[in-house]
Amino acid sequence: MARRNRETPWAAVVIPVVTALLVVIVASACAPDTRTGQSLVRVPQDAPSISRALELVAQHGLVLVDPGIYPEAVTVTVPDVTIRGTDRNGVVIDGEGLRQSGIVVTAPGVTVENLTVRNHNFYGVLVTGMPGGGGGHDVPYSKPAPDMPLLQRFRVDHVTAINNGLYGIYSFHAQHGVIEDSYASGSADSGIYVGQCRDCDIVVRGNLAERNAVGFENANASDSVYVVGNRWSGNRVGMTLISSYQEDLRPQRANLVVGNLITDNTSAESPVQADGGFGIGIGISGGQDNQVERNRITGNRLVGILLNNAEDLPATGNSLLGNSFDGNGVDVADTSQARAAGSRNCVDPAAGLDVRPAGMAARACPTSASPAAGIDRADLPALPVPPGVDFLQVPEPPTQPDSTNARSTEPTGVLPATVGSPDVAAIPVPSKDLLAQWAGVR
Amino acid sequence: MGRCAVKPRQGRPSRRNLLAGVAGSAAAIGGAVAIAQTRQATPANTEPTSAGGIVPATGATQAGIDRPATPQLFGLVMIYDLAAPDDLAFLATLGRDIATLVEDPPADLLPDGAVGLTVTVGLGPRMVSHRRPDLPGAESLPPFAGDETIAPDARGGDLLVMACAEDPTVLAPVVDRLLAAVPGVRVRWGQRCFRGAPPSGSGTIIRNPLGFHDNVQIPHTDEELAANVWLEAPLAGGTLCVVRRLRVDLDGFRGLPTSRREEVIGRRLDGTPLSGGLPFDPVDITAKAANGELLIPAHAHVRAAHPSFTASHLMLRRGYAYDNGDGDSGLMFICFQRDLRTYVLTQQRLDSLDELMTYVSPTGSASFLILPGHHDDRPLGAELL
Repeated sequence: MARRNRETPWAAVVIPVVTALLVVIVASACAPDTRTGQSLVRVPQDAPSISRALELVAQHGLVLVDPGIYPEAVTVTVPDVTIRGTDRNGVVIDGEGLRQSGIVVTAPGVTVENLTVRNHNFYGVLVTGMPGGGGGHDVPYSKPAPDMPLLQRFRVDHVTAINNGLYGIYSFHAQHGVIEDSYASGSADSGIYVGQCRDCDIVVRGNLAERNAVGFENANASDSVYVVGNRWSGNRVGMTLISSYQEDLRPQRANLVVGNLITDNTSAESPVQADGGFGIGIGISGGQDNQVERNRITGNRLVGILLNNAEDLPATGNSLLGNSFDGNGVDVADTSQARAAGSRNCVDPAAGLDVRPAGMAARACPTSASPAAGIDRADLPALPVPPGVDFLQVPEPPTQPDSTNARSTEPTGVLPATVGSPDVAAIPVPSKDLLAQWAGVR
Repeated sequence: MGRCAVKPRQGRPSRRNLLAGVAGSAAAIGGAVAIAQTRQATPANTEPTSAGGIVPATGATQAGIDRPATPQLFGLVMIYDLAAPDDLAFLATLGRDIATLVEDPPADLLPDGAVGLTVTVGLGPRMVSHRRPDLPGAESLPPFAGDETIAPDARGGDLLVMACAEDPTVLAPVVDRLLAAVPGVRVRWGQRCFRGAPPSGSGTIIRNPLGFHDNVQIPHTDEELAANVWLEAPLAGGTLCVVRRLRVDLDGFRGLPTSRREEVIGRRLDGTPLSGGLPFDPVDITAKAANGELLIPAHAHVRAAHPSFTASHLMLRRGYAYDNGDGDSGLMFICFQRDLRTYVLTQQRLDSLDELMTYVSPTGSASFLILPGHHDDRPLGAELL
């Protein structure tokens, strides 16, 4: 018997495992407003470690860290604090290949900026409203949605997250946050990950992810997620929008993905994508009603944008308009199975564009559904997949730029209750060298 | 998420799976703890299954689903068509006859006693939908990959009578006697089947014809059975059964090197997950090597079938082997669950991903509402009358 049609390799992207943290997080009763402490704690001048500084700092205070290697697992339970390095490349939280996570944020309103987290087996920076786990992929039983509140307000800015085994920068069950001007490489899952939220109100902007299995991944993060002006190039898969039964709040839907550079995701200098994904610009697996517009999507040797069902969840209503395609194996392909066929997806037609099936090409997405099965995956180009590189051995990036706040002794202040949409309409197709000066893969 | 686990690094199954220790470890705390509890919990049914043993036929649930706790060595699955879908009066008689056979075995039919006999009765979708189209069991299975090759007579059916015992010789006479009292009944398809003795002496885990352990991850405790298997009112104590006769290319599979067979399954021959741990431990589907490769391969059977990918309930599998000669042998897959979706989404996923399916051809397929248990005050089928 011939082997049956396989689902696309990235479709079952392995999901985060927040709960590892239960080892680390002893549900520390978060400091109440009455907490007393110092508004500024310098490391190492006032405290020998970042963890110790967090015991001393006041709510709304600043932990300011001087250059050095910090071999510690930091857990942030103080609301509204800022952890800031004075030198992004010189302040290094190092997991040494031994520890699970660099910085785990479980308090609202926290800013992490201008430092490096590396060599952790799980995560570089994790922001989560579900410390200790309890989420949907706690197999083998299906579970109802958690009634734990989402973590509110966070900011990750000018963080370099390298050689972290699962995710570099990771928000889960959190909302009203910003991840920007950061760098991630060497992750066996994804460099940056946003998962499990509705009305997320999360902006992912100006980041660079390369030499990861997947550059940016979104599973079950919906509505107001704005992915703008990032460079997702030189990974195995540039970015994914996926619906996953292994987490709650599915399906994934209604993100804005605008003005990103998504090129040459054929990196051999990275861990493998678990399901063999390679040469893919954007993968949308069971994602719905996303606007993927005015991105530059080139040189992805399998496919520029790949649509697929996630089990019985179809990829529907995705608007793929105004993107600039060049040099992809196929520009846009839908390989959805008949049992969960896509509908209302559209790509604006352009000369020379390779869209399969061709019926997806239209200047506007149809408003009524007429599901049609996609092409056979075997009809995509056959690409050899290079062997994976140990996540600890992935090359380091060039020196990354400091935040303009690097030397400031002022805390960030209270993060806003809501972030809001960037001016998406003003964002054009990016140039071919977006963020290239900070990239190791050019 | 709760599957976080930190296995000590020295516990890694191989040098290469650095990440597994950590990513993989995910399974440990949640997973390992859960399974430990499962193993320590008292099984829902502890009736003996030894030859001569009586497995109570009456109760809140029918026998042959979760009792006896160690499934009998032999089975006979018979599937019938019924002339009149609106006539269910025979069920009450059938239930009483089953109870009488087990409680007071007639010497002409069961000279050595009950020999662990159970008889489990289910109704096909046509019967259920005729009476109550809103109830679980009214819906038929959709076609799966390869189903187009199944002979029409080996698809579906109105009535399931599954008899199991420690002595194969009693099964056909018992079923024949029971069915003699059912009017307008015609055999549609059926299968004699068998299974090996559990390597541990008792319990559900056996080796299947592929040479690997089966029924490792299934619900055992009352809580697990309630959450995954039993229906609720008005069919409390009932469940949904899927029967699939799967011819397996055993020569082809056995022709693979051992390591390849283990990759196809996702466990080693001794039952140890490829993600590490001890034999029969839960598989850790998140475990990876440091270079990102999954320790349980992407197309391994245990990964494809893992309920987390479909948010499915945990099936209660209670399958058998069969061998009809001339190379027609394989698995009589039998499972019980509280919704058809669990089976449907899982099988669709297997059809897409599971390398083991390349060795499998379906030759029979049906689903049934297994009626709630019966006793003196509640005849079999009372819920549908």
